[in-house]
Amino acid sequence: MTDITASPSVRKLAREKGVDLAELARSLGRTTLVREDVSGGAAPAPAAAQAGDRSYWDVDHAQYGPVTEEPTSRIARLSARNLAAAQALIPAVTHHDRADVSALEALRKAWRPEAEAQGVKLTALAFHVAALARALRAFPRFNASLSPDGETLILKGYVHVGIAVDTPHGLLVPVIRDADRKGLLAIAAEIADLAARANARKLGPDEMGGASMTISNLGGIGGTAFTPIVNPPELAILGLTRTETVTVWEGETPRPVPMVPLDLSYDHRVINGADAARFLAHHAGLIADPRRMTI
Amino acid sequence: MTDRCDLLVIGAGPGGYACAFRAADLGLKVTLVDARERLGGVCLNEGCIPSKALLHAAEVIRSAQDMAGWGIAFGKPRIDLDALRARKDGIVGGLTGGLGGLAARRKVTERRGTATFTGQNAVEIDGEALEFDRAVVAVGSRPVRLPGWPDDPRIWDSAAALELREVPDRLAIVGGGIIGLEMATIYSALGSEVAVVELSPQIAPGADPQAVAILARALEGHGVTLHTDTRVEEVEAGDALTLTCTGDFAGRIEADAVIQSVGRRANGDRVGAEAAGLTVTARGEIASDAAGRTDQPHIYAIGDVSGLPMLAHRATHQGHVVAEVAAGHRAALDTILIPSVAYTDPELAWIGPTEAEAKARGLTVKTTSFPWAASGRNLASGGGDGLTKLVYDPGTLRLLGGTIVGRNAGELLSEITLALEMGATLEDIGLTIHAHPTLSETTAFAAERALGMLTDL
Ligand SMILES: Cc1cc2nc3c(=O)[nH]c(=O)nc-3n(C[C@H](O)[C@H](O)[C@H](O)COP(=O)(O)OP(=O)(O)OC[C@H]3O[C@@H](n4cnc5c(N)ncnc54)[C@H](O)[C@@H]3O)c2cc1C
Repeated sequence: MTDITASPSVRKLAREKGVDLAELARSLGRTTLVREDVSGGAAPAPAAAQAGDRSYWDVDHAQYGPVTEEPTSRIARLSARNLAAAQALIPAVTHHDRADVSALEALRKAWRPEAEAQGVKLTALAFHVAALARALRAFPRFNASLSPDGETLILKGYVHVGIAVDTPHGLLVPVIRDADRKGLLAIAAEIADLAARANARKLGPDEMGGASMTISNLGGIGGTAFTPIVNPPELAILGLTRTETVTVWEGETPRPVPMVPLDLSYDHRVINGADAARFLAHHAGLIADPRRMTI
Repeated sequence: MTDRCDLLVIGAGPGGYACAFRAADLGLKVTLVDARERLGGVCLNEGCIPSKALLHAAEVIRSAQDMAGWGIAFGKPRIDLDALRARKDGIVGGLTGGLGGLAARRKVTERRGTATFTGQNAVEIDGEALEFDRAVVAVGSRPVRLPGWPDDPRIWDSAAALELREVPDRLAIVGGGIIGLEMATIYSALGSEVAVVELSPQIAPGADPQAVAILARALEGHGVTLHTDTRVEEVEAGDALTLTCTGDFAGRIEADAVIQSVGRRANGDRVGAEAAGLTVTARGEIASDAAGRTDQPHIYAIGDVSGLPMLAHRATHQGHVVAEVAAGHRAALDTILIPSVAYTDPELAWIGPTEAEAKARGLTVKTTSFPWAASGRNLASGGGDGLTKLVYDPGTLRLLGGTIVGRNAGELLSEITLALEMGATLEDIGLTIHAHPTLSETTAFAAERALGMLTDL
């Protein structure tokens, strides 16, 4: 027996990966090796060290003027940890596009009485959920997650879409399951229900997590563009800001067209720029001509 | 056209069948050949399993006798040897038959016959040619026969002893290793007067002397005579078999049957290994490395034929490794921790270096132990003397080995084996909550004793 302690499964993993345990132990300055030492997480140590350096926040603010203190909520602390990990570990790029919503708005208007009769408010967000679900089906590599060691891409056979909901107690992301198999009215009703219960802190744990991708919608508030942070373990996130009527030239003729800005942040380890552009163009195409969602 | 297969496995013992099944599970086209009618090799047909069936019978006989001291008398057992034999054969038949089903389900091609290499990638099975990409030699071992002994049907090897032909009045067992001691346990319970002759200074050579002393006392208590440091010089076949001994016991032993259990010889000399370019040692072994490879990279050797220790669980693990290697995985048997168990009454089990072995290797070690006389569960269940003993590194308190003698020692040893593989320290064991009252507590108690935490002694 050597002086190194490593369980049988760790030794097996080392052999499969061609890792010399004695050498690894020496380089780590340890005699006990565990699975993580051999599988080597994706996180480069320096980034982790920087993320862990909290001295910048260690400031007596009161010396500059009056302050009051307020503890952060549990939800805020959880999402802070998530966001910090995402920002530190994911090489993310944000791609911008926009989509003509004339046809979408016309449909909403035409279907409003019918929707109202069913007690549903047919929102633009419902169209984005439906369109995104179809885009995810068309681009399966976007409907995936990386394993923690970054070595395996897990492709998902289902399409669940997360909706970021801004609540008084923090950011929550309830999930619409199997969004690719649901109609617009059903999706709209579900969004309204989930958002209301998120605000009332009545979401069950099984109603969050497991999304293929998340939508963060600031359209009702404003903005022309933003760079959302990917919600791990998802690969991308779609941001929406306020629809704006822009001038589009058709030949010599200027035409006012209402356009919704689209911002897609994605994990560049898996998705390259050209694919992101194609994916977002596909989504924009479905929004511009919602009839195409039915084919 | 000659038949072909990806992987040819020669010998269907615990090494061979495990290898064949695993390889088939990994997608290889496998042929498994054995000269025997039934799968399972020595272990199932004439080794581990039938011996354990008879040892179970012996244990029940003894337990029933011991109950007299509890005020419960069963009287002398009536032993129907034919029924006992049939029961044992039924168990073997069920298990070997089950293996046939497992082979069929995996689409492993089974062949009956003796395989002999005819070239680097070819064998003949009883004259029929078969070609292979890779081959596994898993041909096992056979009992050693001492030279100069008469040819007499009353001289048995272990296979003959397990056939249970009769219960001789006087039985001499030459060789006090694990197999010999198991035979002594069986036949003394069935009614034979047993004498064991062992050349080494102790029975179960290699095991911890303190534990062996407890086993020896128990066997003698069962009426078994033990002659250590004794050599059988001559055997004469007359009305009785007469063994002339020298050494610690210088004299004659008269017996109605004699079991030879002086070791086993690897069968590497029986497969025409030279034709495939394999080297066979003088002891009949075909050496292989941790990945099971011989000096021919496409031929592997596993189990008893690949050397010591000759144990079924080593063969099985080697078989799995070789199947994975043959299927292109990086696999190897990277442990030296192979447990030894004598299923005697009481059982004797050990793993890792004994104190003496560790010291011989130049290691600084300490030992700690817990006597079973202080184990509530042992006393409450009528157990005799026993001991749980741990060898550890005094600097790190890391566990290095362990020996248990006592009822169910073989089962109890697995905790120590797992602890060793996981690199556990005495504290890890002591801090693990063991159910009370159990025999397994003795392991925790031994650890606590070394840590100065024990309150049960
Ligand atoms: C009485 C007794 C009790 C035992 N008890 C235990 C125990 O409790 N625990 C334990 O771990 N071990 C025990 N053993 C040892 C155990 O049986 C062996 O270690 C084990 O069987 C070895 O397995 P193997 O795969 O190497 O080969 P084997 O089981 O020896 O099988 C080899 C097979 O190869 C076949 N064969 C040989 N040559 C050829 C050829 N040329 N062509 C075709 N087929 C061929 C043979 O017919 C045989 O079936 C015991 C042994 C004996 C004798």
